[in-house]
Amino acid sequence: MYSEKVMEEFRNPKNMGKIDKPDAIGEVGNPVCLIPKTKIYTKKGLIEIKEIKKREFVLNHKGVYDKVSKTFKREYKGKIIKVKNKLGINFITPEHQIFAVKVPKTYHFFHHKNKKRLFADWFHAEELEKGDLITYPILKEEKNKKYISFEQKRKKFDFKSKKIPNKIKINSDFLRFAGYYLSEGNIREKVGKTYLGLTFSSKEDFLADDAIKIINKNFGIEAKKKKREKQNTIIVEINSVWISRLFIKLFNKGAKNKRIPLELMLLSPEKQKNLLYGLWMGDGYFNPKRPRAGYSTISYELCQQIKTLLLRQKIIPSIYTEKEKRVKGVNHQKSFRIHVGERKSLEKLAEILKIPFKLKKPTLTDSWFDSNYLYIPITNIEKTNYKGKVYNLEIKNKHSFTTESLTLHNCGDMLKVYLKIKDNTIKDVKIETFGCVSAIAASSKATEMIKGKTLEEAMELTEKEVADALDGLPPIKMHCSVLAVKAIRKAITEYKEKQKKE
Amino acid sequence: MVTEKIYLDNAATTQVDERVLKEMEKAFLENYGNASSLHSMGQNAMEEMEKTREKIAGLLGAKPKEIYFTSGGTESNNLALKGTMDLKNGKLIVSKIEHPSVLRTAEYLKEKGKKVVFAEVDEKGIIKLDKLEKELKEETVLVSVMHANNEIGSIQPIKEISELCGGKTLFHSDMVQTTGKLKIDLNKSGVDFASVSAHKFNGPKGIGLFYAKEGSKITALIHGGGQEKKLRSGTENIPGIIGLGKALELAYENLEEKMKKQEKMRDKLIKELSLIKKSRLNGHEKKRLPNNVNFSFYGIEGESLITMLDFEGIEASTGSACSSKNLKISHVLEAIGLDHIWAHGSLRLSLGKNNSEKEIDYTIKVIPKIVEKLRKVSAVRVGD
Repeated sequence: MYSEKVMEEFRNPKNMGKIDKPDAIGEVGNPVCLIPKTKIYTKKGLIEIKEIKKREFVLNHKGVYDKVSKTFKREYKGKIIKVKNKLGINFITPEHQIFAVKVPKTYHFFHHKNKKRLFADWFHAEELEKGDLITYPILKEEKNKKYISFEQKRKKFDFKSKKIPNKIKINSDFLRFAGYYLSEGNIREKVGKTYLGLTFSSKEDFLADDAIKIINKNFGIEAKKKKREKQNTIIVEINSVWISRLFIKLFNKGAKNKRIPLELMLLSPEKQKNLLYGLWMGDGYFNPKRPRAGYSTISYELCQQIKTLLLRQKIIPSIYTEKEKRVKGVNHQKSFRIHVGERKSLEKLAEILKIPFKLKKPTLTDSWFDSNYLYIPITNIEKTNYKGKVYNLEIKNKHSFTTESLTLHNCGDMLKVYLKIKDNTIKDVKIETFGCVSAIAASSKATEMIKGKTLEEAMELTEKEVADALDGLPPIKMHCSVLAVKAIRKAITEYKEKQKKE
Repeated sequence: MVTEKIYLDNAATTQVDERVLKEMEKAFLENYGNASSLHSMGQNAMEEMEKTREKIAGLLGAKPKEIYFTSGGTESNNLALKGTMDLKNGKLIVSKIEHPSVLRTAEYLKEKGKKVVFAEVDEKGIIKLDKLEKELKEETVLVSVMHANNEIGSIQPIKEISELCGGKTLFHSDMVQTTGKLKIDLNKSGVDFASVSAHKFNGPKGIGLFYAKEGSKITALIHGGGQEKKLRSGTENIPGIIGLGKALELAYENLEEKMKKQEKMRDKLIKELSLIKKSRLNGHEKKRLPNNVNFSFYGIEGESLITMLDFEGIEASTGSACSSKNLKISHVLEAIGLDHIWAHGSLRLSLGKNNSEKEIDYTIKVIPKIVEKLRKVSAVRVGD
């Protein structure tokens, strides 16, 4: 079937492997991908994969942020796998590798005790089944900033606004108040009348008092408490343009856009308990009788951030999306609900919320933590057809990244060529091929043919020349065997574009 | 470089046993008459053939008149499907992992307007009985499920399938891979038809047999002189038939002992190859042919793998797309849900009576090295 030259080249392939610091890389075929809307866990929050650029930082499977070194996009038609768990749903191509635990389907592993002995590894989406466990990283990075600096420059005709400290202490008071603001706060911006308001229910008088006390102690500003009997609410009004601006800067405004700034996300879990207290006291509930707790927000980002905060406390969250709806003539926006139902998690949450709650008897759970990961079962996995664009990322160091509910590996190339270029000449070339006899032979031959050539000469190399140099290739193998030529051209083109920019 | 070859492709075909060849030589040179001839040489040949038929029937638990000689597995499979579907209207069910001689025939019948269902198998390559049962609720003429798969070696629950057919639906089983390896009792197995090929158990190529249970209705594919009770015309291939008989006889001599030996080598291979990082066994761990090993190694391509093995003197096969004529991955690996990268890296090792422990030890030493070598040049990362 193959010529002697093909067999000779295959027996002793040249230039195989990779170059450490190549000047150019060309690759073809990237069979693993995600659909455009997949949200990726980055340092800036969750971002759709199609919007992710090079140099963005994404969370790897070790719970640390790594840099994106490359982004990919291609057209795809075929099967796509829908994976569902407590944290969400993702659609990925069948060969994509997921960090997970495969649970043997024997009775022995009905017991969680035995499941806990299994180790996580990379599995293809296709290999996983309902009941296998997804391994989701807990954010490990920690940076305990003590102050937030806040510069205040009065506008031209503003003579009277009372300034607040330029350095604001990140202490338990501040974090609690941040939680109140994220849950209950609103900001009105009007010339001379800008204020920050918190709306509590009339039963939450102690929270209103706490908020007023914090503002006085930490910012030196007097806040007012107003009772609205009709609405059954208490409003705390803080008439300070600077406090309002600070909170907009840090937490954004409008319930849909609120978020927690990176500085607070990276604080130690111990400190973050105060933030969780404030958040939960505002928009959360805790029912010790029918043991369950929950939090609801219309900000997707905030919901995902609270998830991260809970994971760091080793509290297992489930995330639900509630569609837009109309109840009793009132429009309810699309909202995101966090549910906590696992007993141990509830105990931990109760402790944070200072609510008396004692676990009467130990209960079974399908999910658990170790020091680095949350283990949660796949609740559903199915194949569907898909046609359209798909995306992937390449990540430095750990070669992995995290979506809202899965930990994924980043690779899947068919062929990769590395070039070392000096004075417009190819000084060295190395190639990696996932391929058959003729693909390996042709890859080897192509690299030999461009070594020492100028970039222009290398660009001229054709598929036919490579095939001829091997005394021909079987016609059916022609296309896939000479992908090396395509990869070389890609590498050179990208290299030249980069040179132009510099 | 090794001069002695290690042949591990016995599921493709086997070496003819010398004792078989000797008997065949006699038939070629001495007893060369046409069984239809009335002279003594012809009658001698006829007698030899019938003696062989009786012997074979005895070995396979059938009556002599239920054994028909054909040119091999492909013809027998064609006969089973076309010969029954031609007579009756209704459905044909075949499994998704049948040999191409069943699958292509089924597709041909479908093109001709017959209703054909391709039954699913699970991830271990075992037919899904519940789904088959549902399909059988509709009037079905024939079910064709192979006894064991040629690629991944999974053994099908023949007894259960025949019970589902319940005597109402005809049941054909392609027993090409199991004859001479597993004990077979055709009359008790519940099948109506079966296919056997001689070259899979050290017999000659171009000869096989078709089993049709007494009283079952089937029509011929090949018309002519009316040989084989009109079911298969054409001058009988007497040397082949004698070779088939001798090979089958030899295969069932000390069967248990021989298979234990192969099973031991198989399990050793499975155990050792499992130690390779990112490898997986394809097929069922237990319900498996005693001579079949099928592994996938992630990130490498099978054609390159078997070519490199060939350089080391080991002859094996793969289900990789690159090694097929149409660049499609093996339908069997696809049916058990293997994704493309895994299927690309598949390797089948099939043992035979001539393989020795020493050869297996050598193979176990060589494969990890080649896998590593190919992974080093592969662009597909195996993971941290």
